[in-house]
Amino acid sequence: MRLTRREFIQGSAATAGLLLAGCATTPASTGRPAATPATSALAPRGARAAGPAVGEWVATTCQGCTQWCAIQILVQDGRAVRVRGNPLSKTNHGYVCPRGHMIPAQLYDPDRIKVPMKRTNPQKGRGVDPKFVPITWDEALDTVADRMIALRNAGEAHKLVYMRGRYSSTSTNLLYGTLPRLYGTTNYFSHSAICAEAEKMGPGLTQGFFGYRDYDLEKTNCLVVWGCDPLSSNREVPNTIRRFGEILARGTVIAVDPRLSNAASKAHEWLPVLPGTDGALAGAIAHVLLTEGLWSREFVGDFKDGRNLFVAGRSVDEAAFAEKETHGVVKWWNLELKDRTPAWAEKECGIPAAQILRAARAMGKAAPKTAVWMGPGVAMNPRGTYAAMAVHALNGLVGSIDVEGGVWQSSSVPLGAFPKSDAYVDDVAKGAGKFKKLDGRGEKDMPAMMNARPGSGVVTNNVANGMLKDPGAVKVFIASWANFNFSCAGADRWDKAMAKVPFFVHMVTNPSEMTQFADIVLPSTFNSAEGMSIVGNMGNGHGYASIQQPVVKRLWDVKQEETEVMWLLAEKLKNKGFPNLFDYYAKEFKDPETGRTPTTALEFSEIAAKISSATLWMPKEPLKGDAPIAGWAEFRKRGMFSGAKYSLKKGWGGKFATATKKFEFYSETAKKGLEEHAKKHNTTVDDVMAVTGYVARGEVAFVPHYEPPKRHGTFEQFPFTFIDHKSRLNREGRSANLTWYQEFKKVDPGDVSWGDVLKMNPADGRKLGLKTGDAVRITSPAGAIVTRLRLWEGVRPGTVAKCYGQGHWAYGRVAAKDYARAVPQGGNNNEILVDDYDRLSGSTARNGGFTGVRIEKA
Amino acid sequence: MARFGMVIDLQRCVGCGACAFACKAENNTRDRADGQSFNWADFVMRTEGTFPDVTHWVMPVLCNHCTDAPCVAACPMEPKVMYKTPEGVTMHDHERCIGCRMCQNACPYSHAELGEASLDGQEYSVISYNAVDRSTQPKWADTTVLIAGCTASGAEVAKAAGAVVPALNAFAAGDVPTVRAANKVEKCTFCYHRTSRGLQPACVEVCPSQARIFGDQDDPKSQIAVVLKERKSFRIKEEKGTKPNVHYVGKYAARG
Repeated sequence: MRLTRREFIQGSAATAGLLLAGCATTPASTGRPAATPATSALAPRGARAAGPAVGEWVATTCQGCTQWCAIQILVQDGRAVRVRGNPLSKTNHGYVCPRGHMIPAQLYDPDRIKVPMKRTNPQKGRGVDPKFVPITWDEALDTVADRMIALRNAGEAHKLVYMRGRYSSTSTNLLYGTLPRLYGTTNYFSHSAICAEAEKMGPGLTQGFFGYRDYDLEKTNCLVVWGCDPLSSNREVPNTIRRFGEILARGTVIAVDPRLSNAASKAHEWLPVLPGTDGALAGAIAHVLLTEGLWSREFVGDFKDGRNLFVAGRSVDEAAFAEKETHGVVKWWNLELKDRTPAWAEKECGIPAAQILRAARAMGKAAPKTAVWMGPGVAMNPRGTYAAMAVHALNGLVGSIDVEGGVWQSSSVPLGAFPKSDAYVDDVAKGAGKFKKLDGRGEKDMPAMMNARPGSGVVTNNVANGMLKDPGAVKVFIASWANFNFSCAGADRWDKAMAKVPFFVHMVTNPSEMTQFADIVLPSTFNSAEGMSIVGNMGNGHGYASIQQPVVKRLWDVKQEETEVMWLLAEKLKNKGFPNLFDYYAKEFKDPETGRTPTTALEFSEIAAKISSATLWMPKEPLKGDAPIAGWAEFRKRGMFSGAKYSLKKGWGGKFATATKKFEFYSETAKKGLEEHAKKHNTTVDDVMAVTGYVARGEVAFVPHYEPPKRHGTFEQFPFTFIDHKSRLNREGRSANLTWYQEFKKVDPGDVSWGDVLKMNPADGRKLGLKTGDAVRITSPAGAIVTRLRLWEGVRPGTVAKCYGQGHWAYGRVAAKDYARAVPQGGNNNEILVDDYDRLSGSTARNGGFTGVRIEKA
Repeated sequence: MARFGMVIDLQRCVGCGACAFACKAENNTRDRADGQSFNWADFVMRTEGTFPDVTHWVMPVLCNHCTDAPCVAACPMEPKVMYKTPEGVTMHDHERCIGCRMCQNACPYSHAELGEASLDGQEYSVISYNAVDRSTQPKWADTTVLIAGCTASGAEVAKAAGAVVPALNAFAAGDVPTVRAANKVEKCTFCYHRTSRGLQPACVEVCPSQARIFGDQDDPKSQIAVVLKERKSFRIKEEKGTKPNVHYVGKYAARG
């Protein structure tokens, strides 16, 4: 039939121009009449009867991002078919974002590992075939247990490292919270510090809340999304998607992002800040809010005589101002803000002074229903703590903290705690505390002062450096759902570090990059459809708990890492002479209904889930929220429990968890932590600032302030500033092996389906003689990758942007170009991002223009 | 008889892709091959302007279920394989399709052969064609594996799951079967297996921004009729005279 078709193509060539011009609205009534109503004479006829599929919606939980949405999966004949939000959810309203819809595809990915594997090639390295062969669970766990027993008997229990990737917020206590404690190692680390921990420093050091915020989007009139794109990632994506259009219609949306994000595409104002200069922009907005008298009198207070003394360039007498819920606004003004005029900021951050004024006035006008949604783009950079403070402090100025339409602290529901394990900690385990953690937390150059407690925060990405510094430090390495060889900046360090580990056990669903270094691979259940656990989270003013439960029958010989594998491993350890872990699980865990103790891995898994959730379906006191739930069976059917709506003004009236109990513009909380850290190292706060790479000296270290971006690579050698951003289709690092991900990659603005592109401004392309589609090499001080170029107006000249997610050289046949030869599809941003930290939080840097690159035709 | 139609509110739409994924899941559409996307729901996207005065807009697209449908006119079969139902659905009698692709060529919205321009939202296709003499489910017919003995083939997954496509949505087929055959075209049916039974199309039901409204345009009390009466709307390529039954309201980009 092709001849006929060609004739038709020729005949319709005129239509190749596609759509009518742009998105211009044309009233239907003005449409021109049909030219040739040839088909109207064709009589319609009835279609054959059809009907929807028959199936059952089963409740479970998506873990495609950190929101952990309560969902349902449509099951037909034991198969997972479709996905929706749990209709009971007050956080996602019964909807999922695009990520949720990929769950069946991820579940049925042919490249999932279906049986335990062992390495038969002793050589380890990127591109070295591990020569995996299938083995039984029995053999696999015997091997792991033998290694663990030998290490413990040799007095080297502390040389066991456990690292956690994605986890269940309750079951993690069975592995992360128990195994190291009873076995006897301090070397257990969460992935958290490569996620967004630096973000927490903003609300933490100002209002004493080291956590992720919630936003009253239903009532917000001015939404400022800053350094994140909540239409695609960060937090509560379905709720944001639902409310965004409404806020656009009734109020103002301002997006601060160096690249044209989804939110920036739709916003009234886009402020394409120069990467890493967010603190300058925030300072200027604060300056305008103060000089123009737009701050919240109710929250911040006022001048005693009512006259605004905030005049550019002039210091103010602290005694002239009476504060209400805050502490140190005048100190902040005098130390940082008085000279931060929009004209000054324009030179630093690239945003025209007039636009800064416009944004600040819109924020002030809508106050207190102005929510500044600060994300990792602000914070996850080498000086990010202060930028996070500067941006979050704007919420304090406009008085949006804990009020209607504003920015809230998190909510939660009461979950049951697991039994105490103290009685099972033997002398070896008790001695573990004397060993230093491998991640360097608390050292002079790494305060990692999460919760304002120096040395308390994890420094995930520094573990590789610890391992490289002391190759004998790790003898047994266990990791679950982690892929640091792909997900950590300076990824090649992980390739080198993992190649030296004598015994590595990976619990994972797919043969990822990190898996290529494994000696034993334990195939994990895909927990959204095959696991059993209780997960807690919050959003839209409600804390909630949601179940993960077996929705379908397992196709392969896979086991849940935190529950079933732990039980079976504990059993092996007991058989080999270390009974404590098993005895703890087997004797202390009792079914809250029957009092029965578990006898199998699956019973252990279910009893753990029942203990975690019994507080909701057999509470001691009546609960507020979705109560009552009659029992475990009803809880499994409903799948979730939402708590009561957030109560406002939690911290008002001197109840913030800061040193002064007020919202601190002058952070006594930071001061206390920094002074404690300095004292521990017999030095000064100024010295701490110097060795950790911040520019603040003196009291400036205690206020939100602008720190110019730290940049690896000179502008001469590396003229472009690299911008990393996230995909709305990334199910963390795990969806690139799905064809749907590749097919719709274009839903990330500027990106191209079935590909990986570096986005560069066309003006730069002209200068370099590069065009769309060219293969380009991106070189940074850390490494080089090759990908395709796309010239795109959504990035500023001098910057280039690339989405994180592609560049897999393992994981599966869709994600990698050639798995067998370790050839990546595109390039992984983490191979060019430099290994650096926001050292006050211990977070890995990935944003803020800290990596310079050069671009050449490949 | 109802007159089915859809309105898409571009101000509410955030271009997330959920509708397109739900469509693929609901209708078991296969992966892209041979210049065919098999995306019954898709997107047109444009970035316009010069930095920093630049906007990016997204427009969800699907079969317009034109009242005067060129694809129906072009269908050479008698009675028509591509035809209009009394509800206004542009329906395809799959079994009788001869794969001539004249409908695909006649459609002013569809590109019969998709190239690079479909990968960044410049072009799309409403009607896709399943090549002759080839499996229409190559992914699930594939017998190769990544790691011998340790990972599965597509065929092994399908067999273990118990369906030709593991996540098959086994709806009760009428004119259009759950999975399509070689040498036949396929397209959006307005989820006829759902909408003929009073349910919403999958793309409407899952939209987290509630940007899509589906219903009877002739029922003055229906939400779609109210919106079309109250708000300024437009249809794609109005000048072609096809009288689409998919309408758009609002503006995607506030700065546009």
